[in-house]
Amino acid sequence: MSPETLTGNGNYFEDFEVGQSFRHVRGKTVEAFENQILTHLVMNTAQGHFNEDAMKDSPWGQRLVFGLVTGSIIIGLATQDVAENAIAELGLDGLRFTAPVFHGDTLYAYTEVVSKSDGDRSDAGVVVFRHHGYKQDGTKVFEGERRVLLKRRPLERSEDE
Amino acid sequence: MSDFDPTSAKPLRKGNAFEDFEVGRVFEHHWGRTFNQGDNSLFTTTTMFFNPLYFNVEYAKAEGHPDVLINPMLLLSTVVGLSVEDLSEGGGPFLGVDDLTFHQPVYPGDTVRARSTVTGRRPSGSRPTFGIVTWHTEAFNQRDERVLDYKRTNLISRRRGEQGRDRA
Repeated sequence: MSPETLTGNGNYFEDFEVGQSFRHVRGKTVEAFENQILTHLVMNTAQGHFNEDAMKDSPWGQRLVFGLVTGSIIIGLATQDVAENAIAELGLDGLRFTAPVFHGDTLYAYTEVVSKSDGDRSDAGVVVFRHHGYKQDGTKVFEGERRVLLKRRPLERSEDE
Repeated sequence: MSDFDPTSAKPLRKGNAFEDFEVGRVFEHHWGRTFNQGDNSLFTTTTMFFNPLYFNVEYAKAEGHPDVLINPMLLLSTVVGLSVEDLSEGGGPFLGVDDLTFHQPVYPGDTVRARSTVTGRRPSGSRPTFGIVTWHTEAFNQRDERVLDYKRTNLISRRRGEQGRDRA
């Protein structure tokens, strides 16, 4: 198995330019499945995410999707395009949860290229991306910056492979 | 059949209110968590986090790691999850996370614990029944090496009787 053939060839450090923006092709409908299993997997104890009966009397009238489930799905939807060749996820900043997400909402992810710089190692560089998450009616639900250490194109691969 | 009356049972409470978060107070969060391969594969595939470092051990080894890496969003979500009872279960929307650093990789079998320090609080100008609290949360592995830290901000319910009083 050669690691170079397992990932895409259009998303190395060299392939991104500051100022670019992308709409990622796949959306994802957040069913009760995703919110319930991930909220419990990470042991979030706030029952606003898992007690439908208690939430009937709340301003929302139903369970809320945990913000980090929303954020993780938006970041996940973008990952193949911008961080499939990442060596490391370095950090996050400015994560904002701007509107409630409910079971049945569909999420779409967008990404801007904010900055690029050399990394500590010669075979990779640091890219800062800003992700934006929207739901089906255009409501913005999430924004956040993500700093990754991204591989430069290996010698084994040419750009037009 | 016993004659138990559920309406006579004492209701138990969890969580803290705005007034409990004095600046400088430290919370050592409960439980900790050992991450395993099942946690990681479930989280990574459900969120479509498509980088083979998190689900292909041969790829991860070729990159110099002893095993697949625990997904950093799983690490973050779990550390927040472990902190919820102390910090935000009392009620109030999650506003944001800033200045987050993943300091080093976490692998299956590693155990993480978390603690938070209150760094700021103020009344909410627009919502008198809430205040805004900020914490610095840190997570450590079983060797007490810091693996993650961030600042988190929430709206937090004020205790009844304190609501609307601009006292922080």
